[in-house]
Amino acid sequence: MPPATRRRLNIAPYVAGGVTIFVLVAFLLYPIGTTMLNSFAPAGEAFNVLNATLENFSRFFTSSMYQQALLNTIFIGVMVTVLATAVAVPAAYFVARVQIPFKPLILSLSIIPLISPPFIGAYSWVVLFGRSGIVSQYLNQWFGIQMPPVYGYFGVILSMVLSNFTYVFLFVQGALTAVDPHLEESARVMGASRWRVLRTVVLPLAIPPMLAGAMIVLIEALGEFGAPAVLGGEMYVLSTLMYFQIHGFFNLNAASAIALVNVLITLGAILFLIRVNKKRRFVTVGSTTRRAALQTGRGIRIVANCYVWGLLALALLPQLVVVFTSFAEKWPGTLWPTQYGWGNYQYVFSRVVEPLQNSLILAAVATVACVIFGTLTGYVAERKTFFGKWALDLTIMLPFILPGIVTGVALLVTYNSGPIALTGTALIIVIGYFVRRIAYIYRSVVAAVTQIDLKMEEASTVAGATWGTTMRKVTIPLIAPGILAGAIIVFTTLISEMSTTVMLYSARWKTISIAIYERLETQEISAAAAIGSITILVTLILVLTATRVIGKSMSELFS
Amino acid sequence: MASSSPAPARLSVRELTKIFNTPEGPATAVKDVSFDIAPNTFFTMLGPSGCGKTTTLRMIAGLETITSGQILFNGEDFRRKSAFERNIGMVFQSYALFPHMTVFENAAYGLRLRGADEATITKRVHETLAMLRLDGLAQRYPADLSGGQQQRVSIGRALVYHPGMLLLDEPLANLDAKLRVEMRDEIRRLQKALNVMALYVTHDQEEAMAISDVIGVFSKGRLMQLGAPYDIYSAPISLFVADFIGKANFFPVDIESRDHGRAAVVALGGSRFAGVKTVTAASDEGEWFVKPQAALMMSRPEQMWLSSAGQQLDKPAFTGRALRIQFLGSFVRYLVETGQARGEVIVDLPAFAEGVSEGDEVRFGLVGPSLVFEEGSR
Repeated sequence: MPPATRRRLNIAPYVAGGVTIFVLVAFLLYPIGTTMLNSFAPAGEAFNVLNATLENFSRFFTSSMYQQALLNTIFIGVMVTVLATAVAVPAAYFVARVQIPFKPLILSLSIIPLISPPFIGAYSWVVLFGRSGIVSQYLNQWFGIQMPPVYGYFGVILSMVLSNFTYVFLFVQGALTAVDPHLEESARVMGASRWRVLRTVVLPLAIPPMLAGAMIVLIEALGEFGAPAVLGGEMYVLSTLMYFQIHGFFNLNAASAIALVNVLITLGAILFLIRVNKKRRFVTVGSTTRRAALQTGRGIRIVANCYVWGLLALALLPQLVVVFTSFAEKWPGTLWPTQYGWGNYQYVFSRVVEPLQNSLILAAVATVACVIFGTLTGYVAERKTFFGKWALDLTIMLPFILPGIVTGVALLVTYNSGPIALTGTALIIVIGYFVRRIAYIYRSVVAAVTQIDLKMEEASTVAGATWGTTMRKVTIPLIAPGILAGAIIVFTTLISEMSTTVMLYSARWKTISIAIYERLETQEISAAAAIGSITILVTLILVLTATRVIGKSMSELFS
Repeated sequence: MASSSPAPARLSVRELTKIFNTPEGPATAVKDVSFDIAPNTFFTMLGPSGCGKTTTLRMIAGLETITSGQILFNGEDFRRKSAFERNIGMVFQSYALFPHMTVFENAAYGLRLRGADEATITKRVHETLAMLRLDGLAQRYPADLSGGQQQRVSIGRALVYHPGMLLLDEPLANLDAKLRVEMRDEIRRLQKALNVMALYVTHDQEEAMAISDVIGVFSKGRLMQLGAPYDIYSAPISLFVADFIGKANFFPVDIESRDHGRAAVVALGGSRFAGVKTVTAASDEGEWFVKPQAALMMSRPEQMWLSSAGQQLDKPAFTGRALRIQFLGSFVRYLVETGQARGEVIVDLPAFAEGVSEGDEVRFGLVGPSLVFEEGSR
């Protein structure tokens, strides 16, 4: 008789989970902890109990530049959130409840501002409304109107509102479409007028998704680097101040202090929004798949069409300007370019190949890592019970609330010197991308695995399949669409990632966004626009391919 | 009862116990369950929900860890094998068909895992599908099948690789009443044709009686009784089993005298019944008894007579009022309200009792033998 073997424990999922936890601890929690501690150390030193100081924070009390940056960050964050919500909610209502043609197209187009490189679009506003901008010049010629300077609050807020309102729009639109029509019908039957139903039933139901969307907008706005960097001019926010401290003075401790303040503001804002949202908990039990009746009145249709298409036109204007500018071969401060052609593209493909390659490589490697570890970790988190599960969940979601530039600063500060010096390597960029994006895959996988009947995996096991075989033949094929959707989002957002990259890139590892940023700084606008156009095109093709493969619409990918 | 002849594929479960760790503390789901199943037996674990029958099945399958106890199959210790090494077939209530595979691929899954060659796979899958009358559906996907067809596919998937035993976890619960009856006969037919031991879990006592060679009745994590359907129905050894299997009427009685396991009892109203077999109820069934009477006499509805109150008969009888008369096709059911029984009394007669309408006073009594349960010692 063969020696009896103990039942083997499947260690594969735990190994994967373990590696993920290790990476998250080593490259997220530890750096953030270090950053926070170092913010209490004198410039150029590492923190220890003896050298603890508040010197780095003192500038928030002494320097008007610091105080102004702090106020600017809060002001811009709040303004962008409020305005984005205000423009998005009517659009969401119109798309969900009024008969408008081309709804899938509207939803798809609304995604484009989200997936475009963030600050090249911002620069479009300079092209349009700058001192010698096209619109400014016409306004001046025809009406004698002087536009307010685009640099500063006006440009930054405008640009950020138009590139972030989509979050609120998609959330609210989705919720309004999914609301059980019986709710409204019963209100109508009880004698409520259309307006009353809107005010007392429909809009209150839209508040939780609206706040969820607003929260994302607020987090994005508080950590945004691109728009304030391009359009801020003399106006600093915390993220640009951090950049300034590092690229100007390489003062990591001062940057750490700013990062800490930035995180605290973000945290405070999130806690506030969660508190507001907690008071409103609705159980929307959708028992029917029937959709609410669409409004077909002539007046409301005209208003809805004008509003939605107008908003989209405005939101897409920057990308159109980018594409237009990329064809301008000569634009010597005149109203319109004096010569058009493919010259900029020839230039890009002969001289800017490396950043394109770098972006693709870094994004691809990080995406693959996110897919592998996010999938296994998400699976383990959903299917197994283990000690400290909540801590894993919290850690993995942490980058959602951390401004990207803070993650960048934290990694830079921690791995700049010492036994593991990673500054300047491709690895540190990949790690930064990984910790910031793994949550996307993790969340898709958790959601997808929840949908799979556990009995299906048990049926496979009983039929004689090991854990690995069951994963390969049953679980993975079933959750593949979810993983793929997550992977596409990760990849497309990483190609043009700016906030983290700007802290971690090196001469050898410049990415597309850095290449664009450098050309904007040296006023090679058309070249920057050409790179931007290529990025927009590549991203769009990827997303469209993905929607074909997965059979989901573009907007579903992002909500 | 399970035969005791030594044979190859026999299952032996010894003092199986499962304690779940819940946030509220440990919860015992299965306690000291032991049984032996002979080869080729159709064994059903029957009990109300939460009685531990499914947990027992899942421990045998290897899908649930064993807190203590032993499972021996063919003399092999199952605790030393993972679920995927036990060579069992299992059918789930939700069918658990792989939605991304065709019927053919679903059925071929276990064979592929066993490294069968393509020719064998094709032959065996088609044989099995034909046996289940699924011939034309091999290339369909599960979503395109009806509930009954999906059920057949899941049975086929579990049988195609000739497993050592077939486990079925409430496989018919999602089917409509008519299909349920058809499928249970088909499952029994296949089990006998393929000579495979079947372990079946259900809460439906009629289904259990119809399909099983041996039934194990579970309650609160314990195996209350093991036996052939007839034995369990006619000779329950606890009040729970008497009440759960079929319908039962209970009459509080006092024991007057005993003689060799039989007793003479006096019921409420003064009727005497002699030569009734006595059984000791399970130790935790004290609250079933109606004090001050020390015992409960049990009788099945079809083993009772009923007539109008006016008729005088020279045999021990109870009196009551016919609340409801239901004509159920092959028999007539009388629901009788009486102060002499524990709850309402059910009497099933082959034909209508003469002169009895709803609301009338009736007399009723026992035909043939009955059982008397005595309170067990704690």
